[in-house]
Amino acid sequence: MLKLHVLLAKDLRRAWRNPLPWLINLIVPLAMTALIGLVFGGNSAGSALGRIRFAVVDEDKSVLSDFLRGAANQHRAGEHLEPVFLERTNALQLINENKISAVLIIETNFMRNYLSAKTPVRLQLIKNPAESINPAVLEELLGAVVTGLNALSRNFHSDFPEWQEVLEGKEDYHRVSVLIDRAGDKLKMLKKFVAPPLVGYTKEAPEANSDVQNANSRTNQDLAGSAATNRVTATSGGKTTAKSKNDDLHSTFTFLLLGMSGMFLLFLGQNAMTDLHRELRQRTLERYQTMRSQLWPFLLGKIIFSVVILLICSAVLLGGGGLVFQIQWQNPAALLALVVGYCLFIAALFAVLVALMPDERRAGVLNNVAGMGLGLVGGCAFPARQLPEFLREHITPLMPSNWFVESARSLQFDDAYAGWGMALFKLALCAGFLMAVAALLLRQKFRSGLHV
Amino acid sequence: MSLLQVEQLSKVFGAIRAVDAVSFEVRPGEIYGLLGPNGAGKTTTISMISGLLKPDVGEVFVGGGSFWSDPQKAKHLMGVVPQELAIYEELTGQENLEFWGRMAGLSSRDARTRAKELLAALTLADRAKDAVKHYSGGMKRRINLGCALLHRPQMLLLDEPTVGIDPQARLNILEYIRNLRATGTAILYTTHYLEEAENLCQRIGIIDHGRLLAEGTLSELQDRLGGDRVFALEADFGDSAPDQWDGFLHRFRVIQKTEKQLVVAAIGARDPSECLKELLNLPVQVENVSLKRPSLNDVFLQLTGRELRE
Repeated sequence: MLKLHVLLAKDLRRAWRNPLPWLINLIVPLAMTALIGLVFGGNSAGSALGRIRFAVVDEDKSVLSDFLRGAANQHRAGEHLEPVFLERTNALQLINENKISAVLIIETNFMRNYLSAKTPVRLQLIKNPAESINPAVLEELLGAVVTGLNALSRNFHSDFPEWQEVLEGKEDYHRVSVLIDRAGDKLKMLKKFVAPPLVGYTKEAPEANSDVQNANSRTNQDLAGSAATNRVTATSGGKTTAKSKNDDLHSTFTFLLLGMSGMFLLFLGQNAMTDLHRELRQRTLERYQTMRSQLWPFLLGKIIFSVVILLICSAVLLGGGGLVFQIQWQNPAALLALVVGYCLFIAALFAVLVALMPDERRAGVLNNVAGMGLGLVGGCAFPARQLPEFLREHITPLMPSNWFVESARSLQFDDAYAGWGMALFKLALCAGFLMAVAALLLRQKFRSGLHV
Repeated sequence: MSLLQVEQLSKVFGAIRAVDAVSFEVRPGEIYGLLGPNGAGKTTTISMISGLLKPDVGEVFVGGGSFWSDPQKAKHLMGVVPQELAIYEELTGQENLEFWGRMAGLSSRDARTRAKELLAALTLADRAKDAVKHYSGGMKRRINLGCALLHRPQMLLLDEPTVGIDPQARLNILEYIRNLRATGTAILYTTHYLEEAENLCQRIGIIDHGRLLAEGTLSELQDRLGGDRVFALEADFGDSAPDQWDGFLHRFRVIQKTEKQLVVAAIGARDPSECLKELLNLPVQVENVSLKRPSLNDVFLQLTGRELRE
């Protein structure tokens, strides 16, 4: 058998002598990883998005508005929110200068109208159009406040006229104790609805022999579920730890990073395999065939070369990304095996595409469509559960990109996941089949006159 | 015994018959030239001989055995120099030679030793460590040639190895090929340069539109024109036709006729002065007559009706 190491050494030496195309291939995913790290705050523990600076315009200047103003920067809210209290004109000026994320306006007579329930009340939020994430977070928070105020109104509506008089200083202060007493009784009756909460979350223990897709759906539920738990806990007890928040954040980054890697490796594989196009164009593959009868060792050498390039890229993506996001890979050996299998599949796939379309310029379109299609339908770019039903149910499970990305995610999020071996086997089998197809197709093309 | 024997080789691509029943043989220590214009079928013929293309019809025998019965053995006897520069520009000259030596089956040590020998023989030893992309066109051609010689093949297939290089570099390569022939290597040399075929090859096959029209030594091909001289007449021939001149076609073979020129060769061994007298007595006003040795171009002209340079 021909020495594959001679072919591999030749390709690596060529890549080393002309590193620019390969460096560009490496820089793109590295830049993407760094960009995402910067956008989401990277490893800044406990304050991934930083404090959100916004203005509160209190035109009501009532006890209730004071309460809302105070709630905006007290206790845990103060860790994430940075309110400044201004007049409407100044606040709008700051938003125009892009110095704050939003303006919350508490309009005149807010408390009176809320307690009398004669006129609908409103809290006005003006979002900074130059920002996307922070205003959206504030809108969500304000939604939670409104929900709370509505709940309060529904349960304590009968007491509101008396509370209004108390708060406006018209009521006999001796009656305050009676009102508080009555409120306590009502809260006591509501206790069973408030604690424990109506909405609960129980994490199911995964089954050891579950397949990839089940693990996927469980993982997605886990992610959504753990976020729900935090919300409920924060509402009832306010004792969410920084660790669990970071865990959630890392879970999201890990989920994204693995998907992004699955996608990028497809494009990097396409670039790596263009070297086979170069061998065809420069007639070096033709010269090889004047010396050797068998074509497959050359093809295998090129596939191994592509796999080496892809593994270096994977190390940058997953290793570098892991460092940026402080991800601790749960089962690095299994993940490495999966990555090797996936890289083999990618290299073999693009070898087939080269054999199908030896013309480099025309092949570019086909390769892009194949890479994009596999990435999108395989659930790399979006979670598989968000894809249209037909794709999700019938096509996505057949995609090798899906085998890789879902197995890698399950390895990370599911302690008992053991399906990666089967995914690896399927990837390797697929790669072997594609290699054979590529060799046959290329041989056929040569015999029928590739360059004639 | 011939080292390469090609029998009735044919290849069709769709509606195009690229090679049509081509047969020839190449003996040890012989340079056989396959002469023809671009698109004549030379490269397709070499591709079939070297196993890159499978012939539709015909057989190739290398070293006495059928190529397709043991392709690897046949390939080991051959060295193929493609028309394109099939080398790695990022690698040095020495690395290119060593790599192709390994592909040809040499051990690492043998490939290194042989690469150094070839670099010296091709006068590239002082540039051995430079990347090929920094070489001149002639130097690249020499490396391209050297890559086929690592395993000391008994037969060399050269597909237009001097295309696109300067005259000095061409002379160097041709000299090297003559030296290879002197060592007993059989060489199949395709070209569309008449001078190369005339000066380099012992036997020449003329190919056009996929068909081998004639073959032989230069003098054998010249004899096809009826001797070692041709007459070129300049006159206003207009509508006059040689077949209307009394007995003209019994005494002369028309090689080419245009409005202003008529090229003919005498049939049989005849005195040139007598031929000249007859030509001057033709029923046209002859302005000039020149006598020359027939070239391969004249042979090609007579075979195809057009010049090789067209």
